[in-house]
Amino acid sequence: MKKLKVFFNAMVIALFALLIGAGFSTQTAHAEKTYQIGTDVTFPPFEFANNQNKYVGIDIDLMKAIAKDQGFKVNIKPIGFNAAVQATQSGQIDGVIAGMNITPERAQTFDFSKPYYKSGVVMAVKQGGSVKDLNQLRGKKVAVKTGTSGAAYANSIKNKYGFKVVTFDDSSNMYQDVLTGNSAACFEDEPVMKYSIKQGTKLAIVTKPADSGSYGFAVDKGKNKVLLAKFNKGLANLQKNGEYKKIVDHYLESKGTNAGSSDHTFWGILKQNKGFLWNGFLQTLWLSIVSIFFATLFGVIVGLLGVLPYKFFQGLSSTIIYIFRGLPLLVLALFIYTGIPTLTGTKIPAFIAGVVTLMFNEGAYIAAFVRGGINSVDSGQMEAARSLGLPFSKSMFKVILPQGIKLIIPSFINQFIITLKDTSILSIIGILELTQTGKIIIARNLEGFKVWTIVALIYLIVITLLTWLSKWGERRTRL
Amino acid sequence: MIKVDVKNLVKNYGSNHVLKNVDFQVQKNEVVVIIGPSGSGKSTLLRTLNKLEEPTSGSVVIDGKDIADPKTDINKVRENIGMVFQHFNLFNNLSVGDNIMLAPVELKKENKAEAVKQAQELLKIVNLSQKFDAKVQSLSGGQKQRIAIARALAMNPDIMLFDEPTSALDPEMVGDVLQVMKRLAKDGMTMVVVTHEMGFAREVADRVVFVDEGKILESGTPEDIFEHPKNPRLQSFLEKVL
Repeated sequence: MKKLKVFFNAMVIALFALLIGAGFSTQTAHAEKTYQIGTDVTFPPFEFANNQNKYVGIDIDLMKAIAKDQGFKVNIKPIGFNAAVQATQSGQIDGVIAGMNITPERAQTFDFSKPYYKSGVVMAVKQGGSVKDLNQLRGKKVAVKTGTSGAAYANSIKNKYGFKVVTFDDSSNMYQDVLTGNSAACFEDEPVMKYSIKQGTKLAIVTKPADSGSYGFAVDKGKNKVLLAKFNKGLANLQKNGEYKKIVDHYLESKGTNAGSSDHTFWGILKQNKGFLWNGFLQTLWLSIVSIFFATLFGVIVGLLGVLPYKFFQGLSSTIIYIFRGLPLLVLALFIYTGIPTLTGTKIPAFIAGVVTLMFNEGAYIAAFVRGGINSVDSGQMEAARSLGLPFSKSMFKVILPQGIKLIIPSFINQFIITLKDTSILSIIGILELTQTGKIIIARNLEGFKVWTIVALIYLIVITLLTWLSKWGERRTRL
Repeated sequence: MIKVDVKNLVKNYGSNHVLKNVDFQVQKNEVVVIIGPSGSGKSTLLRTLNKLEEPTSGSVVIDGKDIADPKTDINKVRENIGMVFQHFNLFNNLSVGDNIMLAPVELKKENKAEAVKQAQELLKIVNLSQKFDAKVQSLSGGQKQRIAIARALAMNPDIMLFDEPTSALDPEMVGDVLQVMKRLAKDGMTMVVVTHEMGFAREVADRVVFVDEGKILESGTPEDIFEHPKNPRLQSFLEKVL
């Protein structure tokens, strides 16, 4: 029992160290007196990582130009749309510029600048195809991206024009569906569509922008009035002196400098993104190592609770395993990352939330096989040890556990590999690991197939290495 | 001197009454053999003597200490009671020598050097001196059981419990194990033995106890039990096994 306590304490201390470490790193960013502006990670052409994996886009260039015009400093933080919105509300950052539609609903909680971009939904079809307008869509399929205004628009008119809506999770899959001819057309925000075409997507816009909305820069309601006023004034200046048009054209008009003029072969993509992929790979590796460590600790403790000769602890162990094995990893991750802060009012850095998620989920599986492995050691072993006068804990540590651990080593190896793969699910909470890195690269170059192939190969290589390492470790424990 | 004093012992598993008000005593240096049909409760009776089975009610007093009382330190009492199991239960993760030395070293009765010396002496007693470093998996059944006896003796107990020690052995292995047990009996060890070896009971036991359906139905010298059985159930049992 004493050893269990030490384990538990170590785990708590380590978690706190991580939390505190993360806390410090965000604090140092506040030290310089500049405006902190949040933005999305992948919303080309408004914000995206370019070839050098520096964040660029209409929003970012515009914000910088306005700051220069008005003489203030900005620090632009690409932290994801939802995170940027929440951070603005909680005062951690000063504002958000992320292709954000001005809606009456949002205006309740935010003060918006004057609209800086008027957007609208357009229909795009295969270049040189026969479909040219909405009336030709009857009986056909139309591709949209989930949660976009394009999707909302398509759904609002599908009965009138008699087409069927197919929903995709990202743009490149949606375009691909049109290119292969499965869908006759897709609906997308005009600037996004224009940018994609500029990147080489073989689609053509055939309608005028419809169902239009306006993008605005947002600050928390009632705060940062000065910043808002500067933004509006700067925007007006830029629109007058032509710089605004220059910025927009740079990203949307085919004559501008092509941000993505680059080698789209496998090798080209790999070479161009090697630093970015390497960082994603390191993050995946680090996330896996830390998560495996805590999941193992948590799982072993919960598993051992399950074999103690007390009904209470056995019940506790079973309940923990039941809950965390029963929850889908994705739901657990979202609950911990967004649900817990809502309940407690304290923010959790995404990395910590990710580690905690994996600790609970993978730990529950580990606990189940630790408990099972120990229980499968012949009960006569425990009886013999106890009959000699050895206390329960000594019998456990000297006789039962050494035999139980041998039985469960293959399960551990298996679980480590699963944990490594499951880190990819944490891209949902914005951790910049390998999968999220892939998503961001695709948002820029729209080469879904090639990028996912590269990402898949990297996973396979890591998993092969991990398997070898585990087998080696397994052989050593056998001796 | 009374080493084991069991009074009104009841053991139920749910609605299954395994032991029904058993009274049972063992004197110092006495060898008691418990016989009876399978399922009669004889193993359960033996296992309550070191609390591997918790009594439902009644008292089990070992050397003056009631082990049914939760305040009694059962580990201390167990150090004084060696137990040998039907299926040996040697620790599979330890060598023969470490099986024997585990308890003396862990319970700080002996330092490592003393423990090694004692383990080697015990191996001599069970005629397996050369097996100190052997792996448990490499032993035959008869060898395993003799190692198990050596292990049970390592804490220098003054009571030894044997739970069908030869039932899982090939016939040609039985003799070696019984020989070790006979030697222990001759040296004055207090022993309680559950067995089907009637020859052993006849030759070695000071007293034979017949258990059936959770009760002691007859108890006496080997001669009383085997030559002049009174209880009809004992008579029919003996007819079957002899």
